[in-house]
Amino acid sequence: MVTSGSDNYMDNIIFELDKVYFSYLGKFPALCGVNIKINQGQKISIIGANGSGKSTFLQMLDGLIFADQGRVSFCGQQLNEKKFDDLKFSQEFRRKVGFIFQNSDVQLFCPTVKDDIVFGPLQLGVAKGQIQKRLEKLCAALKIEELLDRPAHQLSIGEKRKIAIVSTLIIDPQVLILDEPTAGLDPLTTRSIVDLLIEENNSGKTIITATHDLHIVEEVSDIVYVFGQHKSIVKSGLAVDILNDLVLLEENNLVHIHSHRHKDKVHIHPHLHSEHHADEHS
Amino acid sequence: MKSDNFIERSIVGMLTFLKDGIISEECALRKGFLQSLDPRVKIISFLLFILQVLMTGNIQSLAVLYAFSLFLAVVSRIKLGLFLRRTWIFIPLFSLFIALPAIFGPGEALLAWNIFGIKLVITRQGLDTAVIFIMRVITCVSFVVLLNLTTKHFELLKVLRIFRIPQIFITILGMCYRYIYLFIGIIQNKYLAIKSRIGSGVKYQQGQEMVAWNIVSLWERSTNLTEEVYKAMLSRGYQGESVAWNDFKIRIRDYLWLLAVVIIIWTI
Repeated sequence: MVTSGSDNYMDNIIFELDKVYFSYLGKFPALCGVNIKINQGQKISIIGANGSGKSTFLQMLDGLIFADQGRVSFCGQQLNEKKFDDLKFSQEFRRKVGFIFQNSDVQLFCPTVKDDIVFGPLQLGVAKGQIQKRLEKLCAALKIEELLDRPAHQLSIGEKRKIAIVSTLIIDPQVLILDEPTAGLDPLTTRSIVDLLIEENNSGKTIITATHDLHIVEEVSDIVYVFGQHKSIVKSGLAVDILNDLVLLEENNLVHIHSHRHKDKVHIHPHLHSEHHADEHS
Repeated sequence: MKSDNFIERSIVGMLTFLKDGIISEECALRKGFLQSLDPRVKIISFLLFILQVLMTGNIQSLAVLYAFSLFLAVVSRIKLGLFLRRTWIFIPLFSLFIALPAIFGPGEALLAWNIFGIKLVITRQGLDTAVIFIMRVITCVSFVVLLNLTTKHFELLKVLRIFRIPQIFITILGMCYRYIYLFIGIIQNKYLAIKSRIGSGVKYQQGQEMVAWNIVSLWERSTNLTEEVYKAMLSRGYQGESVAWNDFKIRIRDYLWLLAVVIIIWTI
């Protein structure tokens, strides 16, 4: 059972990482001294260039990998391999935390879309009637009925991403962790996914998103954490403050300088499409 | 499209595999008679047909069963051309070569002639044996192809449960079916990338090296994918024993079909 495990535990802190280190095969560092506290119901964004440790961090939050050093806790309870050997804890944790992988092909491993969607709740012992109800609700909301009997390899990238999200949402987790949810998607699908995340957050879910798509950061985050090339958090703050700190973004490979033409005028500025040159674009 | 180039041939081969898979899925989605039956009932009834084909030694009975398989193909909205192509190519043709020597077996002579002093005699009993053998093969193949074309692949996998095959094997088979398409896409793109850079002028040894490196790279990818997929399963609550969704329903139509099958087999 996932419950408060310590007396000084603050009720609304859902994840807490204290001086966390992790390396692959013991020699390729992926996280170096990460400290973070995530409150329940928050929208968090993790931004950083490729290889800055975002995906590793998210997998650690989902209890898929464990810290070499430091402490990761969920609702006051330390996450480690031994803890997940306890079936009751493991099931309770999986019911509360949902993870959407960067590569949807990884997440859609069943022969059909429907099998993929119902896989999670089935493994977690949710009653079939309840699963059917949730499935119908999600299908109606996201208009995916016609995809249910299709194999995943016949879907477009956007459809796969949507189904991957649905396959996690059907578990009805309190925390949604998303690894690059909008990478490679067209603007319309990106929009629908952002709207969905905002809606889920409004309903009380905690949303943790790793991305380097700065277009969506402001909408999907209350607080932004910037991961640097040294595999640690270099800065955190409100989305608007982080997005306006062009030096920080440039230093961490999140913006680049480019020039382009609007009407008869050539501009040279950082490539950051949030509220930049709004007057000149109009 | 025929080509001596190994890259072209590989791409064409992969496209054919994908096309066959898509055609099968399309047929299984059509609103035909066999498609409307419960897959479990369909498999049991087809097993009964195949057993009957193997047990009967009567050419007329075999002919009736073969004609019935063609009738089933028609009412299941499968084009006869496609069905005959799939059933007659390879297996029955090979069985024809195997059965050929049998027509010269002992028995009542039907036709005899001399070739370079060797006397060849086709006998009635020999001919009957060969015809029965070929009829059995083609009828069995027809029922199997019909089952494959009218049933979605994932349903066939799920039905394996009724034969008490453990869920873990069915899950693994399902994943193989799922990821084979992903890997075909990767291989196809790799070959297209090779073709775009070096064209079709690949020497034999160079080609061998490329294929070897592709196999290694694919092996590495599949190992990484296995790890990631396992994580994705764990993340959604997998505990080592997979639970599957089963929404098959046996209706009156299925019972009637099963009754009809028993009557047909009894009558034949």
